Amino acid sequence: MIGGFGQEGQEKLKQARVFIAGAGGLGSPAATYLTAAGVGVIRIVDHDRVELSNLNRQVLHWQEDIGKRKGDSAAQKLKKLNREVKVEAIEEMITEANISQLVSGFDLIVDAMDNMPTRYLLNKVALEKNIPFFHGAVYGFEGRAMTIIPGKTACLRCVYRGVIPEEKFPVIGVTPAVIGCIQATEVIKYIVGIGQLLTNKLLVYDGLNMKFAEFRLKKDPNCEHCGELVRGKK
Amino acid sequence: MSVRINLHPNLYQFTNNQAVVEVNGSTVGECLSDLVKQFPRIKPGLFGKDGKLLNYVDIYVNYESSYPEELARPVKDGDELHITLIIAGG
Repeated sequence: MIGGFGQEGQEKLKQARVFIAGAGGLGSPAATYLTAAGVGVIRIVDHDRVELSNLNRQVLHWQEDIGKRKGDSAAQKLKKLNREVKVEAIEEMITEANISQLVSGFDLIVDAMDNMPTRYLLNKVALEKNIPFFHGAVYGFEGRAMTIIPGKTACLRCVYRGVIPEEKFPVIGVTPAVIGCIQATEVIKYIVGIGQLLTNKLLVYDGLNMKFAEFRLKKDPNCEHCGELVRGKK
Repeated sequence: MSVRINLHPNLYQFTNNQAVVEVNGSTVGECLSDLVKQFPRIKPGLFGKDGKLLNYVDIYVNYESSYPEELARPVKDGDELHITLIIAGG
């Protein structure tokens, strides 16, 4: 038995409601392992349809799913993996207008997006609603992960202020597999209440040289999303 | 003062595939100026036309974020810098 986990830990997982933003390269492994772990409710949101070029990394989608909605395709597999888990697929683009309603009632948010603007929206709503936020991102053989506890730790906007110029992000499939599993690990630890989280830290994975590095982060008092001025306005 | 700069892989193209460059300087800004002096083609990969650091470039000094001081942040002999770029794929 894993120390500090036990039946109580499993019960905590069963009570948890996890929101996963994206059913792509990061969302596939994160959702798969959270479903297998027995999380109570998973809401997975994606507005795209499955394309051939997705299949190298988005392993919840198979050749037979090309053309299907990713949410449906993902939910179909996840329900077969563990029918005790309630899986909800939402086929919507996450926007400033709908994000608050989409995450309403959920205990945790997993960032499995493929662009910075939506990540910033997720970061902001997580802070506003006091929902722990689990960030992941990938490019090529490189991946990153960090965990944000609103009001306590550095947020995504404390770390990143910009937007990478519009481009395609080439990814080798195993990279989001590593990072998505790290995000799922963080989620499980948070729910069960064991271990050390990736808070105030940015974990950088370099698959080409098979190295992990940890960069220390600080809350930015002038952060646009969680800084003192913003908090003062509330 | 000798400082080692670890580059993001996307910048190797500007440094003859060197991942690590030794530079001199007493601030992050001076170190980056020395980097640009050694490898002038890297400049647009780090700085905008206004001369400011691009907002998707992040600098870490000894594994600690240099923000908000960034270019003004002092460094000492033997320090290690990492230049990272935002990545956004999923």
